[in-house]
Amino acid sequence: MSTQWVIAETASLAAELIGGARELQQGTVIAFVGGDNSTATSAVVHGADSAFTLPLQPGAMWEDYTYALAEKAAIDCPSLIWVGATKRGRSLAALLAAIIDCPCISEGKNIRVLDGRVTADRMVMGGLANKVVSTDAPTTIITVSAGTYEARASDPGRSGSIEVLVLPSAKVKVTGRHLRESSQVNLNAAKRVVGVGRGFVEKADLALAEELAKALGAELACSRPIAEFLNWMPEERYLGISGQVIKPDLYIAIGISGQPQHVYGVRDARVIVSINKDENAPMNETADYSIVGDLREVLPALSSAVSKVACV
Amino acid sequence: MKRVIVCYKWVLDGADIRVDKSTRKLNVEKAKWILNEFDRNAIEAGARIKASTGCELIGITAGVDTEESSKNVLSRGLDAVHFLNDPIMEGADSRTTSKVLAGMIEKLGGADLVICSEASDDEYAQQTSARLAALLGYASVTYVQHIEVSGEQIKLSRKLDDGTEDVEVADATVISVVPDINDPPIPSLKQILGAKKKPSTAVALAELRVIDRSSQLRTESVLAPEVARKQIQLTAGGVSIADAVLKLTQQLSSDGVL
Repeated sequence: MSTQWVIAETASLAAELIGGARELQQGTVIAFVGGDNSTATSAVVHGADSAFTLPLQPGAMWEDYTYALAEKAAIDCPSLIWVGATKRGRSLAALLAAIIDCPCISEGKNIRVLDGRVTADRMVMGGLANKVVSTDAPTTIITVSAGTYEARASDPGRSGSIEVLVLPSAKVKVTGRHLRESSQVNLNAAKRVVGVGRGFVEKADLALAEELAKALGAELACSRPIAEFLNWMPEERYLGISGQVIKPDLYIAIGISGQPQHVYGVRDARVIVSINKDENAPMNETADYSIVGDLREVLPALSSAVSKVACV
Repeated sequence: MKRVIVCYKWVLDGADIRVDKSTRKLNVEKAKWILNEFDRNAIEAGARIKASTGCELIGITAGVDTEESSKNVLSRGLDAVHFLNDPIMEGADSRTTSKVLAGMIEKLGGADLVICSEASDDEYAQQTSARLAALLGYASVTYVQHIEVSGEQIKLSRKLDDGTEDVEVADATVISVVPDINDPPIPSLKQILGAKKKPSTAVALAELRVIDRSSQLRTESVLAPEVARKQIQLTAGGVSIADAVLKLTQQLSSDGVL
């Protein structure tokens, strides 16, 4: 019977990965979770057999737990190690893979195992193509993004041992942390999302998108340059391969050219609309419906039409 | 800070890759080799450290057809380039790539700082930097958005999911930098002409420590995803925006998403 590990910074991501591991195969699932006793308990009631906490320490990077994990991995020999694909998680996964000397599949989806061979899908070329990779290595690490697997319902009757993993000494010293002000945005939970891109020439025009979002009862999101280079919107609102990946009922892309990197973040939306002044914008090809026109003309008309029909 | 090594990848230009609609396979015939876009930030980060410390700045790359990359990257501020072309890099995964690069760094006698970018445009695996650190026994600091070198010590700021993290390190370190760390300038004519006089050295795999590829990831297929979108252009055929907008709200209502 095989042993799988789940390593994640947060309880919710750990619960999703445990759900994936349980679905994949029988055997033992051991969770390693950031946080404290309560996150470890959450991992157990969501399906882990036992859990270790990896609390974030003031002077050390979270990834510094890697050397302790590598020592345990040499004893446990897990066949599959699931790592939550946060930035710290990705770094920890790559370090662990190099120490164990095993393959690591970055942001895997549709993970399956047949006769000891692990196979997974992953996006390459900025989302242009789906690559299927496989390995029969004794241990495989795979990073998995939030929203890829579903957590099981919590079972308060479950129990398992909970321990704290000891943090090894490290070369890098953390001197300070500045938590980003959380704007309480949860794009993953939004049924409708309006995304804005470089087609917005002036920041003042964002009000037109806000108005549409309000009429639709939608969350406002954007492409990477809007958040990162123009700083018009907070970074937790940008969609794409390196940002948020969403699956809403409706996604409306406004002034978004449709680079594969952006499309990666929205391709699972049920219905996609593109509003763009460029008839040849690749986003139109990725959309169910497109309107070619000036957003200053299209958005007010659409907001007013939507307010008349939408039951929000 | 005596020596900084920047790792870069020479990739096929994604803008020139076409999808064959019947087979969903990628056609790369017309694609040219270009510098991985993220690596411009890594090279610029190195160039700025060279400007402030006077360190030596070397670029390294491994691939199948990387020789012509030298002129490009040397014009961006590197002093020298070491490149490796070998069939081992054909379809190499992060494990193989990082072992080859680590071997090249060892052959050069190591570095005080190794700079990688966040990821490559094509694979976007985000593993090389951390793997290199583990293989070389260096410290690893990923997703760096700010670098400050003072003597032997490096102060770095990392950009993470929940905020930023400031760190200090005095040992040899491998870092990965995020794209917003700097805005790389377009090389000047003087830099482009100057690049031709700088050294570019071919490295052979046989000069490196033996690399075992037994557990390399196997690629089963690379196919464009199936497009199942309706692709209806509501303004086609001169339909006015007012009419298109009405049609859109009707469609969205009947699709049940309003």
